[in-house]
Amino acid sequence: MNQRFIKNRRLLLAALMLTMVALLRAVPAAAEPYLAVQTGYKCNVCHVNPTGGGLRNEFGLTYAKVLLPAETLDSALDSWNGKLTDRLRVGGDLRADWTRVTAPNTSSQTSFSLEQFRVYADLTLIPDRLGIYVDEQIAPNGSQNEEAYVRYGNTTDGFYVKGGQFYLPFGWRLQDQTAFVRQVTGINMTTPDKGVEVGYEHAAWSAQFDITNGAANATTGSGYQITTQVVYTKPIWRVGIAGSSTQSNAGDRHVGGLFAGLKTGPIAWLAEGDIVHDDSFPGGRTLAAALFEGDWRILKGHNLKVTAEYYDPDRSVHNDQQTRYSVVYEYTPLPFLQLRAGYRHYFGIPQNDQQHQQVVLAELHGYF
Amino acid sequence: MNSRQSHRSLPCRGAVALCVLLVAACAGNGEGLDANGRPLVPGGSPTLPLSADFESIQENIFTPICSVCHVGGGAPEGLRLDAANSFNLLVGVPSTEVPSLLRVKPGDPDNSYIIQKLEGHAAVGSQMPFGCPNTQPCLTTSTIAFIRQWITNGAPPAAAAAAAVNGTLSVTSIVPDSMESVKAPPPQMMVAFNHELDVSQLVTHSLHIEKLAAGASSTVVDQIAARIEVSSANLRALMIWPARPLTAGRYRLVIDATSSSRFSDIAGETVALGTPDERGQAVISTFEVEVNP
Repeated sequence: MNQRFIKNRRLLLAALMLTMVALLRAVPAAAEPYLAVQTGYKCNVCHVNPTGGGLRNEFGLTYAKVLLPAETLDSALDSWNGKLTDRLRVGGDLRADWTRVTAPNTSSQTSFSLEQFRVYADLTLIPDRLGIYVDEQIAPNGSQNEEAYVRYGNTTDGFYVKGGQFYLPFGWRLQDQTAFVRQVTGINMTTPDKGVEVGYEHAAWSAQFDITNGAANATTGSGYQITTQVVYTKPIWRVGIAGSSTQSNAGDRHVGGLFAGLKTGPIAWLAEGDIVHDDSFPGGRTLAAALFEGDWRILKGHNLKVTAEYYDPDRSVHNDQQTRYSVVYEYTPLPFLQLRAGYRHYFGIPQNDQQHQQVVLAELHGYF
Repeated sequence: MNSRQSHRSLPCRGAVALCVLLVAACAGNGEGLDANGRPLVPGGSPTLPLSADFESIQENIFTPICSVCHVGGGAPEGLRLDAANSFNLLVGVPSTEVPSLLRVKPGDPDNSYIIQKLEGHAAVGSQMPFGCPNTQPCLTTSTIAFIRQWITNGAPPAAAAAAAVNGTLSVTSIVPDSMESVKAPPPQMMVAFNHELDVSQLVTHSLHIEKLAAGASSTVVDQIAARIEVSSANLRALMIWPARPLTAGRYRLVIDATSSSRFSDIAGETVALGTPDERGQAVISTFEVEVNP
């Protein structure tokens, strides 16, 4: 099947330059797990990283060129398969945002921002066995390494080991890092950690076991974070369970989560529920968060995302819950270009205006 | 309906039920809670809404979030963010991590170190609140915007502090206070007053720090010079900077015997600082440093 997508390498450089030109007018994309649910694929079908996100592999890039956009371009883009050489694959994401945030009794804030520009590279040292992966955020705020690890083993069928800095596997790897489930668990794509991951991929099963420093130990070095996740994937549904435990002088922290996906016709449904017990609060505190998302593929290149979220900042306190509802329209007119526009409304306790924010957002996302 | 359709309808119904459950989930009504969502203390006053006012920022951010760590003798970088000390240790005070930057530079939020720490682009150390976004949420952009606005407005003190000028000149806070044990050498010491000081009189004052012998003895085993300063951004706080880092041991902050121990405000009112010792020096504070720098 791969041969179908092998392109003329002599055109690679020209294709790369063309893509870079296109990117200057575009915006980025990160992980979008609803695509996995819609297609029934495991994360490693489209991404180099078996837990998803970041650099797309050859199939992922082809999906982005052919199946995702409303219009498929021929000619030069066809020859771009992400490979600079047989061993070196590169990619990137750039997101530029415009947001307007309003809250009661507060003047609204409107701004343009460069949310992120990231480049990825994967160097295969021994095919299907040994590789080095790097995810570097170039902007904003200067260069910052997100992921950099050595990977040994088979990431498509068998065991593998990662060592270095990487994102932890926990629940849906959502593009929106402000989602309650990603904020409350503290495991998201802004919080890479250093350590070792042992993973297993076979048929419908994916599993990871990680030992890392734990962000709470960034400066104290007083313990470790252990994270594990198991996912079972079938063509129209999947279910996963994840857990994480951090030992720290600042207070131990234990996180558990269940997540699932289901495809019903053109709609992909995602759900996740997490519970956190955090001893870094005086006396300890138990928090909970949940997400339910529906992604309706209206037409090729058009997706309507509707999300309902729930957050309980302290299970022992009544009347303090918060919710958030979002509607986001995603339009992918061309390969490597996506436009997003949406609206989020937060609801919380009446005495806190900031828990009643409304956010209008527009985003330009280019990727390759 | 055939068996396959029936089989498929089950997860569909489950999804719909979960969706309805989440959509129906309501935010809390806030009954019995303060603005931070914490239970009201019986008899306590309700929290002020967050605004670009120091009193509100203290009550909504510094006290509930920052002073969990930044309090007492263990406060990181000697920065105490409790209500009694935060203003005086922030406004016009050089950061200990990046001394070229003031923690709060009135009128200039971009060059105020506290903003860089909260927004996560400071040159040194971790983003604050410590551990965010892993062990606790970072402050949202809109929350930081209130602090930015307060700084842009000139970082004025709380209204209550401004009103205190009507009383007689007195000391409101000493850091470290007498008999206090601090976890790490204090980068700076502070004596706060309720009135603005007459900085033209500062030349008449000089202070030093004495290291005392172990035990209860008052024998001085070392003497460390100290620089005193009153920031033009906050004339109510006398800052004292040791010439070199203090090591573990017992210390006292002393006004030189040849120096005046009376401090003046801009109205000419004076107050004596410290307690005379056996050598006629005024001792402002005696404290213990637990560990070496």
